[in-house]
Amino acid sequence: MGKTMIEKIIERASGKQVKVGDRVWCHMDLSTARDFGGANCTEQFDKVTDKKGLVWDPDKIAFTFDLQAPAHSEGVAKNQKTIRDFAKRQGISKVFDINWGIGQHVLLENGLVKPGDVILGTDSHMNLLGAVGAFATGVGNTDIVASWFKGTNWFRVPESMKITATGTFGKGVCMRDYLTYLVGRLGADGMSFRSVEFDGPVIENANLAERITLCSMVTEMDGKIGLILPNGEVLDWLRSRAGEEVIERTKMITPDADATYVSHMTVDVSSLEPLASCPDAPDNVKPVREVAGTPINQVHIGSCSNGRFEDIAAAFDILKAGGFTVSPSVRTIITPSTREVMTRCAEAGMIQKFLEAGVVFTNPTCSLCTAEHYGVLPSGDVGVSTTNRNFIGKVGKGSNTYLMSPMSAMAAAVRGVITDPRDLLR
Amino acid sequence: MDQKKLRGRAWVFEDNVDTDLIYHNKYLAETDPKKMPQFAFEYYPGKEKFAKEVKPGDFVVAGRNFGCGSSREHAVYCLKEGGVPVVLAESFARIYYRNAINNGYPVLFVKGLSQGIKDGKIVDGDELEVDLATGTITNLTQKTSFHGDAVADLENEIMTAGGLIPYLKAQVAQ
Repeated sequence: MGKTMIEKIIERASGKQVKVGDRVWCHMDLSTARDFGGANCTEQFDKVTDKKGLVWDPDKIAFTFDLQAPAHSEGVAKNQKTIRDFAKRQGISKVFDINWGIGQHVLLENGLVKPGDVILGTDSHMNLLGAVGAFATGVGNTDIVASWFKGTNWFRVPESMKITATGTFGKGVCMRDYLTYLVGRLGADGMSFRSVEFDGPVIENANLAERITLCSMVTEMDGKIGLILPNGEVLDWLRSRAGEEVIERTKMITPDADATYVSHMTVDVSSLEPLASCPDAPDNVKPVREVAGTPINQVHIGSCSNGRFEDIAAAFDILKAGGFTVSPSVRTIITPSTREVMTRCAEAGMIQKFLEAGVVFTNPTCSLCTAEHYGVLPSGDVGVSTTNRNFIGKVGKGSNTYLMSPMSAMAAAVRGVITDPRDLLR
Repeated sequence: MDQKKLRGRAWVFEDNVDTDLIYHNKYLAETDPKKMPQFAFEYYPGKEKFAKEVKPGDFVVAGRNFGCGSSREHAVYCLKEGGVPVVLAESFARIYYRNAINNGYPVLFVKGLSQGIKDGKIVDGDELEVDLATGTITNLTQKTSFHGDAVADLENEIMTAGGLIPYLKAQVAQ
Protein backbone atom coordinates (compact mmCIF):
# COMPACT_ATOMS: atom_id res chain seq x y z
CA MET A 1 0.00 0.00 0.00
CA GLY A 2 1.19 3.53 -0.78
CA LYS A 3 2.59 5.91 1.78
CA THR A 4 1.62 9.44 2.72
CA MET A 5 4.17 12.24 3.18
CA ILE A 6 4.26 11.92 6.96
CA GLU A 7 4.69 8.14 6.75
CA LYS A 8 7.68 8.59 4.43
CA ILE A 9 9.19 11.22 6.72
CA ILE A 10 8.77 9.05 9.81
CA GLU A 11 10.19 6.01 8.01
CA ARG A 12 13.36 7.91 7.18
CA ALA A 13 13.67 9.27 10.72
CA SER A 14 12.95 5.97 12.48
CA GLY A 15 14.59 3.60 10.02
CA LYS A 16 11.45 1.43 10.15
CA GLN A 17 8.48 0.57 7.98
CA VAL A 18 5.52 2.22 9.68
CA LYS A 19 1.75 2.30 9.56
CA VAL A 20 -0.83 4.58 11.14
CA GLY A 21 -1.01 4.17 14.91
CA ASP A 22 2.56 2.87 15.35
CA ARG A 23 4.66 4.48 18.07
CA VAL A 24 8.24 4.93 16.93
CA TRP A 25 11.45 6.64 17.98
CA CYS A 26 12.70 9.14 15.45
CA HIS A 27 16.09 10.77 14.97
CA MET A 28 15.99 14.56 15.17
CA ASP A 29 17.54 16.67 12.46
CA LEU A 30 17.24 19.72 14.68
CA SER A 31 16.07 20.33 18.24
CA THR A 32 15.50 23.98 19.02
CA ALA A 33 14.28 26.27 21.75
CA ARG A 34 13.36 29.94 22.02
CA ASP A 35 13.90 32.61 24.58
CA PHE A 36 10.53 31.43 25.88
CA GLY A 37 10.88 27.84 27.06
CA GLY A 38 14.60 27.79 26.30
CA ALA A 39 15.74 28.49 29.84
CA ASN A 40 13.23 25.92 31.10
CA CYS A 41 14.99 23.42 28.82
CA THR A 42 18.57 24.30 29.77
CA GLU A 43 17.79 24.39 33.51
CA GLN A 44 15.95 21.06 33.30
CA PHE A 45 18.78 19.47 31.27
CA ASP A 46 21.33 20.64 33.84
CA LYS A 47 19.15 19.42 36.70
CA VAL A 48 18.55 15.89 35.40
CA THR A 49 22.21 15.46 34.42
CA ASP A 50 23.64 17.08 37.57
CA LYS A 51 25.09 19.77 35.31
CA LYS A 52 27.50 17.17 33.89
CA GLY A 53 25.52 16.20 30.81
CA LEU A 54 26.58 16.93 27.26
CA VAL A 55 24.05 17.33 24.49
CA TRP A 56 24.13 14.64 21.79
CA ASP A 57 25.18 16.93 18.96
CA PRO A 58 25.78 20.67 19.47
CA ASP A 59 25.46 21.23 15.71
CA LYS A 60 21.87 19.96 15.71
CA ILE A 61 20.66 22.32 18.41
CA ALA A 62 19.64 25.91 17.80
CA PHE A 63 18.31 28.72 19.96
CA THR A 64 16.18 31.56 18.63
CA PHE A 65 15.31 34.68 20.58
CA ASP A 66 12.01 35.89 19.26
CA LEU A 67 9.13 36.00 21.72
CA GLN A 68 10.45 38.84 23.80
CA ALA A 69 13.34 40.29 21.86
CA PRO A 70 14.90 42.58 22.95
CA ALA A 71 14.24 41.52 26.54
CA HIS A 72 11.51 43.60 28.15
CA SER A 73 11.97 42.49 31.75
CA GLU A 74 14.62 41.27 34.16
CA GLY A 75 13.11 37.76 34.10
CA VAL A 76 13.34 37.49 30.31
CA ALA A 77 16.82 39.05 30.27
CA LYS A 78 17.96 36.46 32.81
CA ASN A 79 16.46 33.60 30.75
CA GLN A 80 18.18 34.83 27.61
CA LYS A 81 21.49 34.96 29.47
CA THR A 82 20.91 31.44 30.84
CA ILE A 83 20.53 30.21 27.26
CA ARG A 84 23.61 32.04 25.98
CA ASP A 85 25.70 30.62 28.84
CA PHE A 86 24.41 27.09 28.26
CA ALA A 87 25.12 27.32 24.52
CA LYS A 88 28.67 28.48 25.19
CA ARG A 89 29.28 25.70 27.70
CA GLN A 90 27.88 23.04 25.33
CA GLY A 91 29.58 24.34 22.20
CA ILE A 92 26.30 25.23 20.51
CA SER A 93 27.04 27.88 17.89
CA LYS A 94 23.57 28.31 16.40
CA VAL A 95 22.34 31.03 18.72
CA PHE A 96 20.15 33.47 16.83
CA ASP A 97 20.07 36.33 19.30
CA ILE A 98 17.66 39.25 19.58
CA ASN A 99 18.68 40.74 16.22
CA TRP A 100 17.42 37.88 14.03
CA GLY A 101 13.65 37.47 14.24
CA ILE A 102 11.04 34.74 14.50
CA GLY A 103 12.57 31.30 15.01
CA GLN A 104 11.14 29.08 12.28
CA HIS A 105 11.58 31.84 9.70
CA VAL A 106 15.20 32.42 10.75
CA LEU A 107 15.99 28.69 10.62
CA LEU A 108 14.46 28.49 7.16
CA GLU A 109 16.36 31.52 5.82
CA ASN A 110 19.60 30.12 7.22
CA GLY A 111 19.27 26.86 5.30
CA LEU A 112 18.72 24.73 8.40
CA VAL A 113 15.44 23.19 7.24
CA LYS A 114 15.11 20.54 4.52
CA PRO A 115 12.09 18.63 3.23
CA GLY A 116 11.73 15.42 5.25
CA ASP A 117 13.53 16.78 8.32
CA VAL A 118 12.19 16.06 11.81
CA ILE A 119 12.49 19.16 13.96
CA LEU A 120 11.42 20.03 17.50
CA GLY A 121 10.96 23.48 18.99
CA THR A 122 9.34 25.22 21.94
CA ASP A 123 6.98 27.04 19.61
CA SER A 124 3.54 25.59 19.02
CA HIS A 125 3.70 27.05 15.50
CA MET A 126 6.93 25.21 14.73
CA ASN A 127 4.84 23.10 12.37
CA LEU A 128 4.62 25.94 9.85
CA LEU A 129 7.89 24.47 8.54
CA GLY A 130 5.62 21.93 6.87
CA ALA A 131 5.47 24.71 4.26
CA VAL A 132 8.71 23.21 2.86
CA GLY A 133 7.85 19.58 3.61
CA ALA A 134 9.60 19.31 6.99
CA PHE A 135 7.94 17.60 9.94
CA ALA A 136 8.46 20.17 12.67
CA THR A 137 6.44 20.23 15.83
CA GLY A 138 6.04 22.38 18.90
CA VAL A 139 6.69 20.62 22.17
CA GLY A 140 7.26 21.36 25.83
CA ASN A 141 10.62 21.56 27.54
CA THR A 142 10.66 17.88 28.62
CA ASP A 143 10.45 16.74 24.99
CA ILE A 144 13.33 19.02 24.05
CA VAL A 145 15.48 17.90 26.99
CA ALA A 146 14.78 14.23 26.24
CA SER A 147 15.84 14.75 22.63
CA TRP A 148 19.13 16.30 23.71
CA PHE A 149 20.27 13.00 25.29
CA LYS A 150 20.49 10.88 22.16
CA GLY A 151 18.86 12.94 19.47
CA THR A 152 15.66 10.90 19.46
CA ASN A 153 12.05 11.24 20.53
CA TRP A 154 8.78 9.32 20.28
CA PHE A 155 5.94 9.87 17.84
CA ARG A 156 2.68 8.23 16.91
CA VAL A 157 2.29 7.81 13.16
CA PRO A 158 -0.77 9.96 12.45
CA GLU A 159 -3.67 9.53 10.05
CA SER A 160 -3.44 11.86 7.05
CA MET A 161 -6.02 14.21 5.56
CA LYS A 162 -5.76 15.88 2.16
CA ILE A 163 -7.05 19.36 1.38
CA THR A 164 -6.95 20.53 -2.22
CA ALA A 165 -7.30 24.15 -3.30
CA THR A 166 -8.50 25.07 -6.79
CA GLY A 167 -9.47 28.31 -8.51
CA THR A 168 -8.01 31.80 -8.16
CA PHE A 169 -8.21 34.32 -5.34
CA GLY A 170 -10.39 37.32 -6.11
CA LYS A 171 -9.17 40.88 -5.58
CA GLY A 172 -8.64 41.61 -1.88
CA VAL A 173 -8.68 37.90 -1.00
CA CYS A 174 -5.55 35.90 -0.20
CA MET A 175 -4.09 32.75 1.35
CA ARG A 176 -4.88 33.99 4.87
CA ASP A 177 -8.56 34.05 3.95
CA TYR A 178 -8.33 30.47 2.69
CA LEU A 179 -6.68 29.52 5.98
CA THR A 180 -9.32 31.36 8.01
CA TYR A 181 -11.99 29.59 5.99
CA LEU A 182 -10.46 26.20 6.87
CA VAL A 183 -10.18 27.08 10.57
CA GLY A 184 -13.83 28.12 10.60
CA ARG A 185 -15.02 25.09 8.68
CA LEU A 186 -12.98 22.45 10.53
CA GLY A 187 -13.04 24.01 14.00
CA ALA A 188 -10.59 24.07 16.90
CA ASP A 189 -10.10 20.30 16.91
CA GLY A 190 -11.00 19.53 13.31
CA MET A 191 -7.55 18.15 12.45
CA SER A 192 -7.24 16.27 15.73
CA PHE A 193 -3.68 14.89 15.91
CA ARG A 194 -3.57 14.40 12.12
CA SER A 195 -1.10 15.20 9.37
CA VAL A 196 -2.57 17.27 6.55
CA GLU A 197 -1.32 17.47 2.99
CA PHE A 198 -2.17 20.74 1.24
CA ASP A 199 -2.17 20.50 -2.53
CA GLY A 200 -3.89 21.68 -5.70
CA PRO A 201 -3.11 24.37 -8.29
CA VAL A 202 -3.44 27.21 -5.77
CA ILE A 203 -0.73 25.66 -3.60
CA GLU A 204 1.53 24.69 -6.50
CA ASN A 205 1.53 28.32 -7.62
CA ALA A 206 1.86 29.79 -4.13
CA ASN A 207 5.02 31.60 -3.03
CA LEU A 208 6.88 30.69 0.17
CA ALA A 209 5.15 33.39 2.21
CA GLU A 210 1.73 32.06 1.25
CA ARG A 211 2.75 28.49 2.06
CA ILE A 212 4.01 29.57 5.45
CA THR A 213 0.71 31.33 6.14
CA LEU A 214 -1.33 28.28 5.20
CA CYS A 215 0.70 25.94 7.43
CA SER A 216 0.86 28.36 10.35
CA MET A 217 -2.51 27.62 11.92
CA VAL A 218 -2.68 23.83 11.74
CA THR A 219 -2.19 23.94 15.51
CA GLU A 220 -5.36 26.05 15.80
CA MET A 221 -7.18 23.03 14.34
CA ASP A 222 -5.23 20.62 16.61
CA GLY A 223 -3.34 19.14 13.68
CA LYS A 224 0.12 17.66 14.01
CA ILE A 225 1.58 19.04 10.79
CA GLY A 226 0.44 20.57 7.51
CA LEU A 227 2.73 19.52 4.66
CA ILE A 228 3.35 21.02 1.25
CA LEU A 229 5.59 19.35 -1.33
CA PRO A 230 8.20 21.90 -2.50
CA ASN A 231 8.13 22.79 -6.20
CA GLY A 232 8.97 25.57 -8.62
CA GLU A 233 10.43 28.78 -7.23
CA VAL A 234 10.06 27.60 -3.65
CA LEU A 235 12.19 24.54 -4.40
CA ASP A 236 14.79 26.74 -6.16
CA TRP A 237 14.88 29.09 -3.16
CA LEU A 238 15.19 26.18 -0.77
CA ARG A 239 18.04 24.70 -2.79
CA SER A 240 19.87 28.04 -2.73
CA ARG A 241 19.59 28.10 1.09
CA ALA A 242 19.79 24.46 2.19
CA GLY A 243 21.78 22.86 -0.62
CA GLU A 244 21.33 20.27 -3.37
CA GLU A 245 20.06 17.61 -0.98
CA VAL A 246 16.63 19.21 -0.97
CA ILE A 247 16.00 17.79 -4.45
CA GLU A 248 16.52 14.19 -3.31
CA ARG A 249 14.58 14.87 -0.14
CA THR A 250 11.62 16.26 -2.07
CA LYS A 251 11.51 13.11 -4.16
CA MET A 252 11.74 11.02 -1.00
CA ILE A 253 8.69 12.60 0.66
CA THR A 254 6.48 12.68 -2.44
CA PRO A 255 3.28 10.85 -1.47
CA ASP A 256 2.35 7.71 -3.38
CA ALA A 257 -0.69 7.87 -5.65
CA ASP A 258 -2.33 5.03 -3.70
CA ALA A 259 -1.61 6.44 -0.22
CA THR A 260 -4.49 6.30 2.27
CA TYR A 261 -6.22 9.43 3.57
CA VAL A 262 -8.97 9.55 6.17
CA SER A 263 -10.56 12.45 4.31
CA HIS A 264 -10.11 14.51 1.17
CA MET A 265 -11.70 17.91 0.82
CA THR A 266 -11.52 20.30 -2.14
CA VAL A 267 -12.08 24.04 -1.86
CA ASP A 268 -12.53 26.45 -4.77
CA VAL A 269 -10.88 29.60 -3.46
CA SER A 270 -12.53 31.72 -6.19
CA SER A 271 -15.68 31.78 -4.07
CA LEU A 272 -13.92 33.08 -0.93
CA GLU A 273 -14.20 36.61 0.41
CA PRO A 274 -12.16 38.42 3.09
CA LEU A 275 -12.73 36.61 6.39
CA ALA A 276 -12.07 37.36 10.06
CA SER A 277 -11.61 35.22 13.15
CA CYS A 278 -13.81 37.12 15.57
CA PRO A 279 -13.42 37.32 19.37
CA ASP A 280 -12.52 35.18 21.19
CA ALA A 281 -11.57 32.14 19.11
CA PRO A 282 -9.76 31.50 15.81
CA ASP A 283 -12.65 29.32 14.62
CA ASN A 284 -15.29 32.02 15.23
CA VAL A 285 -15.18 33.00 11.56
CA LYS A 286 -17.31 35.62 9.79
CA PRO A 287 -16.96 37.58 6.55
CA VAL A 288 -15.16 40.88 7.15
CA ARG A 289 -18.13 42.73 5.63
CA GLU A 290 -20.39 41.36 8.39
CA VAL A 291 -18.26 43.00 11.09
CA ALA A 292 -17.33 46.05 8.98
CA GLY A 293 -17.79 49.34 10.81
CA THR A 294 -16.66 47.94 14.17
CA PRO A 295 -14.50 50.64 15.79
CA ILE A 296 -10.98 49.52 16.59
CA ASN A 297 -8.09 50.89 18.64
CA GLN A 298 -5.08 49.05 17.25
CA VAL A 299 -3.89 47.17 14.17
CA HIS A 300 -0.96 44.80 14.17
CA ILE A 301 0.58 43.27 11.04
CA GLY A 302 3.25 40.63 11.51
CA SER A 303 3.82 37.30 13.32
CA CYS A 304 4.93 33.88 12.09
CA SER A 305 1.65 33.69 10.14
CA ASN A 306 1.86 36.93 8.15
CA GLY A 307 5.16 38.70 8.73
CA ARG A 308 6.88 38.00 5.40
CA PHE A 309 7.88 40.61 2.83
CA GLU A 310 4.92 39.71 0.59
CA ASP A 311 2.51 40.18 3.53
CA ILE A 312 3.90 43.62 4.33
CA ALA A 313 3.90 44.53 0.63
CA ALA A 314 0.21 43.54 0.41
CA ALA A 315 -0.52 45.83 3.35
CA PHE A 316 1.53 48.56 1.65
CA ASP A 317 -0.65 48.34 -1.46
CA ILE A 318 -3.77 48.87 0.65
CA LEU A 319 -2.14 51.80 2.43
CA LYS A 320 -1.31 53.26 -0.99
CA ALA A 321 -4.91 52.78 -2.15
CA GLY A 322 -5.99 54.56 1.03
CA GLY A 323 -3.80 57.61 0.33
CA PHE A 324 -0.79 56.70 2.46
CA THR A 325 -2.32 57.67 5.80
CA VAL A 326 -3.53 55.53 8.66
CA SER A 327 -6.39 56.71 10.85
CA PRO A 328 -5.11 58.90 13.72
CA SER A 329 -7.52 57.09 16.05
CA VAL A 330 -5.76 53.77 15.47
CA ARG A 331 -2.34 52.65 16.69
CA THR A 332 -0.86 50.76 13.74
CA ILE A 333 2.12 48.47 14.30
CA ILE A 334 4.01 46.50 11.65
CA THR A 335 6.51 43.84 12.69
CA PRO A 336 8.54 42.00 10.04
CA SER A 337 9.24 38.35 10.80
CA THR A 338 13.02 38.52 10.29
CA ARG A 339 15.92 40.87 9.76
CA GLU A 340 16.09 39.71 6.14
CA VAL A 341 12.44 40.66 5.63
CA MET A 342 13.03 44.02 7.30
CA THR A 343 16.02 44.69 5.06
CA ARG A 344 13.94 43.95 1.97
CA CYS A 345 11.21 46.29 3.21
CA ALA A 346 13.84 49.01 3.66
CA GLU A 347 15.34 48.40 0.21
CA ALA A 348 11.89 48.59 -1.36
CA GLY A 349 11.39 52.00 0.23
CA MET A 350 8.34 50.83 2.17
CA ILE A 351 9.53 51.56 5.68
CA GLN A 352 9.87 55.29 5.11
CA LYS A 353 6.39 55.44 3.58
CA PHE A 354 4.94 53.49 6.50
CA LEU A 355 6.60 55.82 9.00
CA GLU A 356 5.32 58.89 7.16
CA ALA A 357 1.83 57.38 7.16
CA GLY A 358 1.91 57.13 10.96
CA VAL A 359 2.79 53.45 11.34
CA VAL A 360 5.07 52.12 14.10
CA PHE A 361 7.52 49.84 12.28
CA THR A 362 9.32 47.58 14.75
CA ASN A 363 12.27 45.24 14.87
CA PRO A 364 11.63 41.62 13.87
CA THR A 365 10.04 39.70 16.76
CA CYS A 366 6.86 37.83 17.72
CA SER A 367 5.55 41.04 19.35
CA LEU A 368 1.78 40.83 19.80
CA CYS A 369 1.62 37.09 20.36
CA THR A 370 1.89 37.76 24.07
CA ALA A 371 0.73 40.39 26.51
CA GLU A 372 4.34 40.73 27.59
CA HIS A 373 5.60 42.76 24.70
CA TYR A 374 4.92 46.11 23.13
CA GLY A 375 1.42 46.67 21.84
CA VAL A 376 -0.42 45.13 24.79
CA LEU A 377 -4.11 46.03 24.64
CA PRO A 378 -5.77 47.66 27.65
CA SER A 379 -9.10 46.37 28.91
CA GLY A 380 -11.93 47.48 26.66
CA ASP A 381 -9.78 47.99 23.57
CA VAL A 382 -10.42 46.19 20.30
CA GLY A 383 -7.52 45.06 18.16
CA VAL A 384 -7.12 43.78 14.62
CA SER A 385 -4.18 41.48 14.07
CA THR A 386 -2.61 39.10 11.56
CA THR A 387 -1.40 36.84 14.37
CA ASN A 388 -2.92 33.41 14.84
CA ARG A 389 -4.66 33.44 18.21
CA ASN A 390 -7.32 35.68 19.70
CA PHE A 391 -8.05 33.72 22.85
CA ILE A 392 -9.70 35.51 25.79
CA GLY A 393 -7.30 38.06 27.25
CA LYS A 394 -4.31 36.75 25.29
CA VAL A 395 -2.87 40.18 24.53
CA GLY A 396 -4.43 41.96 27.51
CA LYS A 397 -7.17 41.15 30.00
CA GLY A 398 -10.52 42.54 28.89
CA SER A 399 -9.42 43.24 25.31
CA ASN A 400 -10.76 41.63 22.14
CA THR A 401 -9.00 40.81 18.90
CA TYR A 402 -10.12 40.14 15.33
CA LEU A 403 -7.69 38.09 13.25
CA MET A 404 -7.52 38.74 9.51
CA SER A 405 -5.28 39.10 6.48
CA PRO A 406 -2.65 41.86 6.08
CA MET A 407 -4.88 43.51 3.45
CA SER A 408 -7.96 43.50 5.69
CA ALA A 409 -5.88 44.65 8.68
CA MET A 410 -4.43 47.61 6.79
CA ALA A 411 -7.89 48.52 5.46
CA ALA A 412 -8.99 48.76 9.10
CA ALA A 413 -5.97 50.91 9.92
CA VAL A 414 -6.75 53.29 7.08
CA ARG A 415 -10.44 53.71 7.89
CA GLY A 416 -10.28 53.36 11.70
CA VAL A 417 -13.02 50.75 11.64
CA ILE A 418 -13.09 47.18 10.37
CA THR A 419 -13.24 47.48 6.59
CA ASP A 420 -13.55 45.07 3.70
CA PRO A 421 -10.30 45.70 1.78
CA ARG A 422 -12.19 45.46 -1.49
CA ASP A 423 -13.81 48.80 -0.59
CA LEU A 424 -10.36 50.41 -0.91
CA LEU A 425 -9.39 48.57 -4.06
CA ARG A 426 -12.35 49.76 -6.13
CA MET B 1 0.22 4.89 38.46
CA ASP B 2 -1.60 5.20 41.76
CA GLN B 3 -4.34 2.57 41.68
CA LYS B 4 -6.39 3.83 44.61
CA LYS B 5 -9.67 5.65 44.35
CA LEU B 6 -9.35 9.40 44.50
CA ARG B 7 -11.92 11.76 45.98
CA GLY B 8 -12.16 15.49 45.50
CA ARG B 9 -14.19 18.43 44.28
CA ALA B 10 -14.78 19.24 40.63
CA TRP B 11 -13.64 22.46 38.96
CA VAL B 12 -15.55 22.48 35.70
CA PHE B 13 -14.43 24.10 32.44
CA GLU B 14 -15.84 24.28 28.91
CA ASP B 15 -14.55 23.08 25.52
CA ASN B 16 -11.32 24.40 23.95
CA VAL B 17 -9.71 25.66 27.14
CA ASP B 18 -6.52 27.22 25.79
CA THR B 19 -3.16 27.43 27.49
CA ASP B 20 -3.46 31.20 28.01
CA LEU B 21 -6.52 30.53 30.14
CA ILE B 22 -4.74 27.76 32.05
CA TYR B 23 -1.47 29.65 32.47
CA HIS B 24 -1.27 33.10 30.89
CA ASN B 25 1.65 34.15 28.70
CA LYS B 26 2.31 37.00 31.15
CA TYR B 27 4.11 34.51 33.40
CA LEU B 28 6.13 32.59 30.84
CA ALA B 29 9.48 33.81 32.16
CA GLU B 30 9.00 31.58 35.22
CA THR B 31 11.19 28.48 35.06
CA ASP B 32 10.49 26.91 38.49
CA PRO B 33 7.47 24.55 38.23
CA LYS B 34 6.76 24.91 41.96
CA LYS B 35 6.06 28.63 41.49
CA MET B 36 3.57 28.08 38.69
CA PRO B 37 0.36 27.00 40.54
CA GLN B 38 -0.24 30.55 41.85
CA PHE B 39 -1.09 31.65 38.26
CA ALA B 40 -3.40 28.77 37.27
CA PHE B 41 -6.61 29.87 35.50
CA GLU B 42 -6.07 33.52 36.43
CA TYR B 43 -7.47 34.58 33.03
CA TYR B 44 -10.41 32.14 32.92
CA PRO B 45 -13.58 34.22 33.35
CA GLY B 46 -15.28 33.13 36.56
CA LYS B 47 -12.37 30.97 37.69
CA GLU B 48 -9.97 33.71 38.71
CA LYS B 49 -9.87 32.41 42.29
CA PHE B 50 -8.92 28.86 41.30
CA ALA B 51 -5.30 29.21 42.41
CA LYS B 52 -6.28 30.50 45.84
CA GLU B 53 -9.16 28.14 46.46
CA VAL B 54 -8.08 24.85 44.88
CA LYS B 55 -7.38 22.11 47.42
CA PRO B 56 -4.96 19.25 46.83
CA GLY B 57 -7.04 16.41 45.45
CA ASP B 58 -9.50 18.60 43.54
CA PHE B 59 -10.12 17.64 39.91
CA VAL B 60 -10.02 19.72 36.76
CA VAL B 61 -12.94 18.65 34.55
CA ALA B 62 -13.29 19.90 30.97
CA GLY B 63 -14.87 19.32 27.58
CA ARG B 64 -13.15 18.86 24.25
CA ASN B 65 -9.63 19.90 23.22
CA PHE B 66 -8.35 20.82 26.69
CA GLY B 67 -5.03 22.67 26.57
CA CYS B 68 -5.15 23.91 22.99
CA GLY B 69 -2.72 26.64 21.97
CA SER B 70 0.82 27.08 23.17
CA SER B 71 3.47 24.43 23.86
CA ARG B 72 4.13 25.83 27.35
CA GLU B 73 4.67 23.01 29.82
CA HIS B 74 3.78 25.56 32.49
CA ALA B 75 0.15 24.64 31.78
CA VAL B 76 0.80 21.10 33.02
CA TYR B 77 3.08 22.07 35.92
CA CYS B 78 0.66 24.64 37.33
CA LEU B 79 -1.96 21.92 37.86
CA LYS B 80 0.36 19.05 38.77
CA GLU B 81 2.32 21.08 41.30
CA GLY B 82 -0.93 22.60 42.54
CA GLY B 83 -2.12 19.18 43.71
CA VAL B 84 -4.68 18.39 41.00
CA PRO B 85 -4.19 14.59 40.74
CA VAL B 86 -5.68 14.09 37.28
CA VAL B 87 -7.34 16.10 34.51
CA LEU B 88 -10.61 14.67 33.19
CA ALA B 89 -11.59 15.85 29.72
CA GLU B 90 -13.49 14.63 26.69
CA SER B 91 -10.28 15.14 24.69
CA PHE B 92 -6.91 16.84 24.99
CA ALA B 93 -5.05 19.04 22.53
CA ARG B 94 -2.05 17.31 21.04
CA ILE B 95 0.78 19.21 22.69
CA TYR B 96 -0.91 19.30 26.09
CA TYR B 97 -1.39 15.54 25.85
CA ARG B 98 2.32 15.02 25.11
CA ASN B 99 3.36 17.33 27.93
CA ALA B 100 1.13 15.47 30.40
CA ILE B 101 2.46 12.04 29.34
CA ASN B 102 6.05 13.27 29.43
CA ASN B 103 5.55 14.36 33.03
CA GLY B 104 3.80 11.20 34.15
CA TYR B 105 0.75 13.36 34.81
CA PRO B 106 -2.47 11.33 34.50
CA VAL B 107 -5.14 12.38 32.03
CA LEU B 108 -8.40 10.56 31.36
CA PHE B 109 -10.33 10.77 28.06
CA VAL B 110 -13.94 10.84 29.18
CA LYS B 111 -16.64 10.13 26.60
CA GLY B 112 -19.70 12.35 26.85
CA LEU B 113 -18.08 14.77 29.26
CA SER B 114 -18.44 17.80 26.98
CA GLN B 115 -22.21 17.28 26.70
CA GLY B 116 -22.43 16.28 30.37
CA ILE B 117 -20.91 19.63 31.34
CA LYS B 118 -23.31 21.50 29.04
CA ASP B 119 -26.24 19.59 30.57
CA GLY B 120 -25.14 20.36 34.12
CA LYS B 121 -24.47 16.73 34.97
CA ILE B 122 -21.23 17.82 36.53
CA VAL B 123 -20.82 21.30 38.01
CA ASP B 124 -18.34 23.21 40.13
CA GLY B 125 -18.06 21.83 43.62
CA ASP B 126 -19.54 18.39 42.89
CA GLU B 127 -17.85 15.67 44.94
CA LEU B 128 -16.24 13.13 42.61
CA GLU B 129 -14.73 9.73 43.10
CA VAL B 130 -12.26 8.72 40.40
CA ASP B 131 -11.03 5.17 40.07
CA LEU B 132 -7.89 5.44 37.97
CA ALA B 133 -7.69 1.65 37.63
CA THR B 134 -11.12 1.22 36.02
CA GLY B 135 -11.63 4.74 34.65
CA THR B 136 -14.93 5.08 36.49
CA ILE B 137 -15.84 8.59 37.56
CA THR B 138 -18.69 8.79 40.04
CA ASN B 139 -20.34 12.10 40.74
CA LEU B 140 -21.33 11.53 44.38
CA THR B 141 -23.26 14.80 44.55
CA GLN B 142 -25.48 14.22 41.53
CA LYS B 143 -25.41 10.40 41.56
CA THR B 144 -24.20 10.24 37.95
CA SER B 145 -21.21 8.53 36.45
CA PHE B 146 -18.86 8.75 33.50
CA HIS B 147 -16.24 6.46 32.06
CA GLY B 148 -12.74 7.57 31.20
CA ASP B 149 -10.06 5.82 29.17
CA ALA B 150 -6.48 6.03 30.31
CA VAL B 151 -3.69 6.36 27.76
CA ALA B 152 -2.44 3.23 26.00
CA ASP B 153 0.65 1.78 24.36
CA LEU B 154 3.95 3.61 24.60
CA GLU B 155 2.27 6.55 26.30
CA ASN B 156 1.23 4.27 29.15
CA GLU B 157 4.78 2.96 29.55
CA ILE B 158 6.14 6.49 29.72
CA MET B 159 3.39 7.52 32.13
CA THR B 160 4.00 4.49 34.34
CA ALA B 161 7.73 5.25 34.45
CA GLY B 162 6.88 8.66 35.85
CA GLY B 163 7.52 10.59 32.66
CA LEU B 164 9.81 10.72 29.65
CA ILE B 165 13.06 11.52 31.49
CA PRO B 166 12.68 8.68 34.07
CA TYR B 167 11.59 6.39 31.21
CA LEU B 168 14.77 7.13 29.25
CA LYS B 169 16.96 6.84 32.34
CA ALA B 170 15.44 3.40 33.06
CA GLN B 171 16.17 2.35 29.46
CA VAL B 172 19.80 3.37 29.86
CA ALA B 173 20.02 1.53 33.20
CA GLN B 174 18.80 -1.67 31.54
